Amino acid sequence: MNPSPALGLDTARAVDPARFRLGGTAPRAALRPATRGEVAEAVRAAARDGLAIVPWGGGVALAHEPAPARYDVALDLSALDRVIEYEAEDMTLTAECGASIAALRRLLAARGQEAPLEGALAERATLGGVLASNASGPRRLRFGSPRDRILGARVVLADGTIARTGGKVVKNVAGYALHRLLCGSRGGLAVMIEASLKLVPAPACRAALVFGATAAEIADHDRWAPIPRLEPAVLTVVGRAAAAALGLPPMPGDFTVIVGLEDDAPWLDRQVSATAQALGAAAARLDGETAEALWQKLADLEEQDGPRLSFATAHNTPAGLAPLSGHAAAARLVFHAPAGRLHVFPEARDAQALAGLLAEKEFALIESRGIESLEPPIAPQAAVHQLRSRIRAALDPEHRLALGGRWERGEP
Amino acid sequence: MSLTRAHLEELRALLGDDGVLDTEAARFTYEADALTFERGMPDVVVLPRSSDQVAALVRWAHARGIPVTPRGAGTGLAGGSTPERGGIVLSMSRMDRLLRVDAGRMFAWVQPGLVNLSLSQQVAPHGLYYAPDPASQQVSTLGGNVAANAGGPHCLKYGVTLNHILGVVAVLHDGMVVKLGGEAPDAPDFDLASVIVGSEGTLAVVTEICVRLLPRPEAVKTMLFDFEQVEDACRAVSAVIAAGIVPAAMEIMDRHTVEFVEAWLHLGLPLDAGAVLLIEMDGPAVNLEAQVGRVAAAARAYHARSTRVARDEAERAALWRGRKSAFGAYGRSANGFYIMDGVVPRTRLAEALSAVHALCAERGLQAGNVFHAGDGNLHPHVLFKADDPASQQQALEASHEILRMCIRLGGTISGEHGVGIEKRPMMLELFAAEDLATMNRLRAAFDPGGLLNPGKILPGDGDGRPATGARHAPAQLGGMRAGAGGAQGPWI
Repeated sequence: MNPSPALGLDTARAVDPARFRLGGTAPRAALRPATRGEVAEAVRAAARDGLAIVPWGGGVALAHEPAPARYDVALDLSALDRVIEYEAEDMTLTAECGASIAALRRLLAARGQEAPLEGALAERATLGGVLASNASGPRRLRFGSPRDRILGARVVLADGTIARTGGKVVKNVAGYALHRLLCGSRGGLAVMIEASLKLVPAPACRAALVFGATAAEIADHDRWAPIPRLEPAVLTVVGRAAAAALGLPPMPGDFTVIVGLEDDAPWLDRQVSATAQALGAAAARLDGETAEALWQKLADLEEQDGPRLSFATAHNTPAGLAPLSGHAAAARLVFHAPAGRLHVFPEARDAQALAGLLAEKEFALIESRGIESLEPPIAPQAAVHQLRSRIRAALDPEHRLALGGRWERGEP
Repeated sequence: MSLTRAHLEELRALLGDDGVLDTEAARFTYEADALTFERGMPDVVVLPRSSDQVAALVRWAHARGIPVTPRGAGTGLAGGSTPERGGIVLSMSRMDRLLRVDAGRMFAWVQPGLVNLSLSQQVAPHGLYYAPDPASQQVSTLGGNVAANAGGPHCLKYGVTLNHILGVVAVLHDGMVVKLGGEAPDAPDFDLASVIVGSEGTLAVVTEICVRLLPRPEAVKTMLFDFEQVEDACRAVSAVIAAGIVPAAMEIMDRHTVEFVEAWLHLGLPLDAGAVLLIEMDGPAVNLEAQVGRVAAAARAYHARSTRVARDEAERAALWRGRKSAFGAYGRSANGFYIMDGVVPRTRLAEALSAVHALCAERGLQAGNVFHAGDGNLHPHVLFKADDPASQQQALEASHEILRMCIRLGGTISGEHGVGIEKRPMMLELFAAEDLATMNRLRAAFDPGGLLNPGKILPGDGDGRPATGARHAPAQLGGMRAGAGGAQGPWI
């Protein structure tokens, strides 16, 4: 497959565009540049030729992205996977955005540290993809969101300019934090090619306590109230059907609740007792690496097949799920409670009603997948939309980055 | 720009008679923040009481092309709230209420004029507190903290202001009010609030803030070590981190600072030490005993000469007193001094400190250092003779060289004080022209007319007009003295 010669790069950088379908539509060409200079060259050439670009990481979030209005070139960043600088004693890392989350995790684990980013399918998910999709996982409360962890970035703008904001040190207030703004931008504002992160030490001990819970127990506010004050690393609720994928023994009740603890041994033991006091004896306990593997499985549950609605909420305990009691969609839900992130997988025909029901209970819809007709229950403020539109126009005046189309004037 | 009588009447109609200050004496109070050698006289000072009043004011100014410079407590050290181009100073001092606390979900909504420490005091009955603790926390406001993305000694473990802001209500350049983020940790789409944090009031005027609250730590252990060599203290800091421990704070005072503090307060700090290292750990009591042992071992491995562990709150306060009084001690003892805020990677600290002393010594100057070692955030105090222009010029030169050194070592020019007016020229050395042009595009998207705190952060930004604010000769550097802060010199 030969890309348009006008794209400038050697044909050796061309790859099969069929792998980069969005909503069933393949781009005219796909390129896999090997250096940041090649990324800039490709973007510049595309800008010159008026082509619309979509940057790709591991394709985890993009697998569910509908086809944009125009889609000429897929820019596969997976070859930019080098670690540029890792100084363990500084607890900072700078890497190219095509590096996989799993690879970074292995590198850091060898030095007793953790990459404070999570997301589904860590072997495929890339640093850039997790940042651009603002992905998180069950330990969201402990790590913060990607914007809390990113220290700086190097990006390619839609005209091919390479620009840098922030830096690699843990405190830095020099200049505007474009790198934070790009978290959640899905490659629609600029192409992220390098990022620096603030790391965390791996905890001395990890434990996962697993409980079964009935709908009535889930709805019991007082039962859960003490848990957030214990500052658990994980408090995730999973519906019965979704729990089957976790490889845990069957639990009584319709829900499985996982309390994850990560700390020094003495306090972890105390957290275990305090949890037992509030919730009773755990049905199962996993420790160390098996607990860590469970966190990834919980993140992976966010990628179940079919339509998905994702919500952000201030509810920080399972009791927030009370309105879903008895709802068909409860069987496959995943709720990372202290971080306030709920994913439900409804039948398409139920989605609108479900979104409306949850909106009344302080769940804000932040993303819908596979449900084209869904109207946001709360329309974004017009002034916010206009501001996004102005930012997009400032960074990409010719609208070369195809996924920025969502911020075009006039929508929503 | 000077305002007409009709303008002032319109403002009084919007904000009430007591919400508009236009006498020369009143305006004079607002011509600078704590960086007193950069000044600009505002044409008027306004004191709104609500988001709606702020919106009305900004809409009014937008329609007339008048600059608006938001201001908190005025403790900034970079000239960020100095109205360099005149116009309106928008003081948040009357918007100082805690609006709502949700103790169960551990967040609060506050107005921007609320004093940082007051928030922690007001939520204390719920067993909660607000973690970021800039040393100015007794006076500085949350709005100012958001504008500067303020840090503080405890941000080593807990992160900076950004990490504790869940959302804001902000007034955009044209007076539109938007809510960005909020109680739920995520807003859909790219994160507008996160770029407003740290933007020094140049992108929007924040009128309400949703902050994350944390459970008060069960226990605290505060330790003080002294070292013959400051380099060893720096290595001990790295060793603690390498051991997988993230203390709440790790602060170093060098020999100069100890001398100034001792001459004033007689705390019994060792005058022959090259450096004093304060380490504080907090969290569950059951964890701390073992951590104290590991930290002490790391310090001893790098030749710590003595170890003091506070046994109670009074002893803890005593150990902190020296650190917190450092600024005041300099103000009391030094003829003139200039505070800096550079950052280097933690592993380059020892090297950076040697460079600071060398760069000052070459110019016949002395520098003391008191800094957030855990974060690599240096606060060199360059001392000079306030009545000697040549000495002042050398101090400025030395300070620029120190920031260049921070950049060379992979760091930055400001860790928590902001760029403001003061470090604007250094932005050209930290960033390439394309980087600054990109930032300028972002700013223009927020504020196309360039009226929100114009001129700050980016060199020669926006409309390209040179700053018109009064520019004082370095002779004014002597104004950088501890004043109202007293023994708890609040600023760093």
